[in-house]
Amino acid sequence: MREITLSQAVNEALAEEMRRDERVFIIGEDVAEAGTPFKVLAGLVEEFGTGRVVDTPIAEPGFMGIAVGAAMTGTRPVVDLMFGDFIYLIMDQLCNQAAKTHYMSGGKLNVPLVLRTNLGATRRSAAQHSQSLQALVAHIPGLKVAMPSSAYEAKGLMKTAIRDDNPVVIFEDKLMYQDKAPVPEEEYLIPFGEANIKREGTDITLIGTSSMVQVAEKAAEILAREGIEAEVIDPRTIVPLDEATLLKSVRKTSRAIVIDEGHQSYGVTAEIASRINEKAFYHLDAPVLRMGAMDVPVPFSPALEDVTVPTPEGVAENARRLMSGEMIHAA
Amino acid sequence: MAKTKTNTEDYLQMYRQMVRIRTFEDNANKLYLDAKMPGLTHMYSGEEAVAVGICEALKVTDKITSTHRGHGHCVAKGAAFKEMFCELLGKEEGYCRGKGGSMHIADQSNGNLGANAIVGGSMGIATGSAFTAKMLGTDDVTVCFFGDGATAQGLLYEVMNMAALWKLPVIYACENNGYSEYTRTEEIAAGSITARAEAFGIEAHQVDGQDVLAVNTLTQKLVARARKGEGPFFLELMTYRYHGHHVGDINREYYRTKDEEKDWKENRDPIIRFRGWLVSEGIASEDEIEAMNAEVRQDAEQAVDYALNAKYPDVSEVDMHVYSDIKHALA
Amino acid sequence: MPHDVTMPQLGMAQDAGKIVSWLKAPGDPVAEGDALFEVETDKATMEVEAQAAGFLSGVTAAAGEDVPVGQVIARITEEAEDDSAPPEPSAPSAPSAPQSSGGDDLPEGIEVTMPQLGMAQDSGLLVAWHKSPGDAVQADDVLFEVETDKSTMEVPAGADGYLAATLAEAGEDVPVGNAVAVISAEAPSNPVTRSAAAAKAPAPKAEPEQAEKPTERETRQKPASKPAPKTAPANSANGRILASPKARKMALDQGLDLNRLVEAGHPQPYHVADLEVLKSLPTKSAQTNAVQTRHLTAEIPADGFADFARWAADTAGLSDQNALLAGLAAACLPTGTGTVRVEALGQSHSYAVMPGPLSTIQPAEPDRPADLILRDLRFSRITSVHLGAEPAPVLTLARNGDALAITLECAGDHLTASDALTLLSEFAGRMEQPLRHLL
Repeated sequence: MREITLSQAVNEALAEEMRRDERVFIIGEDVAEAGTPFKVLAGLVEEFGTGRVVDTPIAEPGFMGIAVGAAMTGTRPVVDLMFGDFIYLIMDQLCNQAAKTHYMSGGKLNVPLVLRTNLGATRRSAAQHSQSLQALVAHIPGLKVAMPSSAYEAKGLMKTAIRDDNPVVIFEDKLMYQDKAPVPEEEYLIPFGEANIKREGTDITLIGTSSMVQVAEKAAEILAREGIEAEVIDPRTIVPLDEATLLKSVRKTSRAIVIDEGHQSYGVTAEIASRINEKAFYHLDAPVLRMGAMDVPVPFSPALEDVTVPTPEGVAENARRLMSGEMIHAA
Repeated sequence: MAKTKTNTEDYLQMYRQMVRIRTFEDNANKLYLDAKMPGLTHMYSGEEAVAVGICEALKVTDKITSTHRGHGHCVAKGAAFKEMFCELLGKEEGYCRGKGGSMHIADQSNGNLGANAIVGGSMGIATGSAFTAKMLGTDDVTVCFFGDGATAQGLLYEVMNMAALWKLPVIYACENNGYSEYTRTEEIAAGSITARAEAFGIEAHQVDGQDVLAVNTLTQKLVARARKGEGPFFLELMTYRYHGHHVGDINREYYRTKDEEKDWKENRDPIIRFRGWLVSEGIASEDEIEAMNAEVRQDAEQAVDYALNAKYPDVSEVDMHVYSDIKHALA
Repeated sequence: MPHDVTMPQLGMAQDAGKIVSWLKAPGDPVAEGDALFEVETDKATMEVEAQAAGFLSGVTAAAGEDVPVGQVIARITEEAEDDSAPPEPSAPSAPSAPQSSGGDDLPEGIEVTMPQLGMAQDSGLLVAWHKSPGDAVQADDVLFEVETDKSTMEVPAGADGYLAATLAEAGEDVPVGNAVAVISAEAPSNPVTRSAAAAKAPAPKAEPEQAEKPTERETRQKPASKPAPKTAPANSANGRILASPKARKMALDQGLDLNRLVEAGHPQPYHVADLEVLKSLPTKSAQTNAVQTRHLTAEIPADGFADFARWAADTAGLSDQNALLAGLAAACLPTGTGTVRVEALGQSHSYAVMPGPLSTIQPAEPDRPADLILRDLRFSRITSVHLGAEPAPVLTLARNGDALAITLECAGDHLTASDALTLLSEFAGRMEQPLRHLL
């Protein structure tokens, strides 16, 4: 199978869906000729024109609000939010308007909108361009949240998101844009709420989101050399969450570590760990560990930044501790 | 005020709609005072000429966005009493199946995209609705209702900027009722409100919001021009709210005098003024008008009775309409 | 019964009242309904009536004082009291604890504790009391009867005096070392009767970290000088067994008793893997039955073997530590020779040891029956064992902080009691100072 970058995969997904449905359009800062700072959208404006690849002023609440209204009235906007950190700017439009409109209207109005944004530290961009804020939106009923872990997921999930009648937030890891993965030429969709078992194992379940899937896979390789067989699961969407697959795995392995690049406290890892605790308690032979980003603003200095995110070695070490039966008080 | 024979029906319709709004609000206020309505509500009484003058210039597929003080817009855009009172009382047959209440009534069938409980929250939605019209090539115009208080929100300026850049068919209708919640407008708005729109190159008008014909005549012209791509436009409608900020705001002498309220009610009431004009122009007799009033009153009383006896939604509906494609989000 | 007089709540937002004046003096007789004192609140001044008849006593608030609502300011007693000792002012939210459950109101005297009777015993069942609270007792009078897994026995009072308190009821299981009675010198006016369950809170002297550091606790409780067998109570502070939810559930489903792992000294927390250890423990009936099972433990302050092994490797080229251990152990057998199987780090090595220098020790056929098994747990987290007899005597080495614990377990027909004592003490001596014994 051919291999393409995550960036190309997203570009393909958008182009295919825009050809398929003329109501789909892209709106955001420097999405047209510039193709975004990450060049993910390069070439789209040539095919679809500025009427459907719409450059906006630097006014996130404004263009987000316009997208919500456009979605409510018959179009299918894909909002390009240049950095995930800017979610704070659009919170009212996303969480008070888009997320609640279907419910508040008793099901009469839909908001078929995709918010494309990104996450991920270690790009030396400091505290306002490095955050992973998926927990903020996953907390809000009415929003769906997808977290692709490779080019394959990025394309399949994007196409599903565009066809979904609900507001969907997709977080791409900005460090993964140039990562290649096998992506079929033919069309495919990845349904929401279906986790992917990336690696089978019997001893411990490593649940990772987005780039943390790679971290979990590398940790599993380290552990395999020591005779520990880790199962690696990528939920792919955290809302809806494929609880059944996660629980089935943990019931098998009796141990789990949940890894996500958002801040650890009150985060995605906490939610998943809590559900495992509630629903697979009598199958647990060790505490479920959370591994998130350190609870500090993301620092600039590489020496500091690199210690704030989970690493394969750190995951492997925690897995060893769980396997050894060590009394664990805190991750 | 000029009168032509062909407009007779339109005049009577405008009168009737204003009376319907006033009657609706009188009943809603009574429901609150009798402790039969859950929560609070914001009365539109006194501002009827604004909603009616504008909405009578729109067709059914034209869109409006409304505010927390939204019953008037809803009635003016064609909503029925029964579903409105049911919604106010949280009943299953309400416009939003009891999920929205007074501040979130949406009536998509008549182009009402919904009231919004966030002050200034619908400016993006209205602009986005106009974006849809332009993108899909419909000739629908969207009117964005908001109060003088909402002119302090930054979103307005972001979306007016884009609406002007993209020549969107949207009319920003600022209902200046003199008070931003419990504060005089002079204390929250610097400079001229219309000048703010003019700064974006948007044609802006200030109009007597107690004169339904003046409002209607101007709006008709602007709507026609917006359909031709000459939008956006901005209206500042000088009006007055008879009640406090909400029905519970009873002692309000600390921010405005009873004499001031009396003056507006006795000398500038839009319904009294228009009724006098209809009689003096020979469009309707006092008896015909009284009969019309009585009919509206009876209509409202029946709707109130119906709503009071209507059933609440089944509790199982609580997790419905969170997502359009998931019947019960928590199942 | 004395009746408390409190500051009444008179207004809605009132939290205190000022006593304007007392209308009765301490010692005065009062009838129900008599005006006792006058109170001023923010609203008004009013008289407060007595709610019971009797004598006013224990007045703690004087005229002019502000008193919180609900606070006791006096008592009405049945008898006029000469010494009307004021009651402790007590807020209404903190009522005084009832006599039967407080921890600090035990009579003065000598505590009689639940004795340790068996080796692996950590509690005893109190079968019956032979004295009643308030009885006079002599030191050798039977005070109560205890049942352990082995037998029932009578426990003497241990001191002359009066049985002032019984702190456990017949039928209760009481942890070893916990007080079950108090013998006072003077006849008690108000003997205390309490159940062990009621006294649970103050009884255990455990601290939270003991759960994680059983070795420390054992060190504190069982000084090296006292050659008592280890009971390894590696419990958590509140007596709960620390085990994973899955291990607990599986134990329940399979009818396994995690307590037996505790008794065997297996360190907590327990995971599923520990259930295998639990299953391999000798059955309860075998345990009770094995009257002739011997279990001895010695403790030496430091492991002298490690240095010796290094010396032997450096100077004599003897690098197989297991062979050295086998040699030292075999030398302690009554015959001074035999096959020793050394189990260490999950592996097992057999050695044929003949009298003579350590360099002559040869590996033995793996299937040859051992005369002695040496289990080296110095590098594990296990600090003590109680695994029962195996086909051959078993010496177990375990680390206990800096100290080294050596346990000998064998069946009665393997070794006589004195041979067992000799073997263990000789081997302990060799492990402490191997060189001296060789020379």
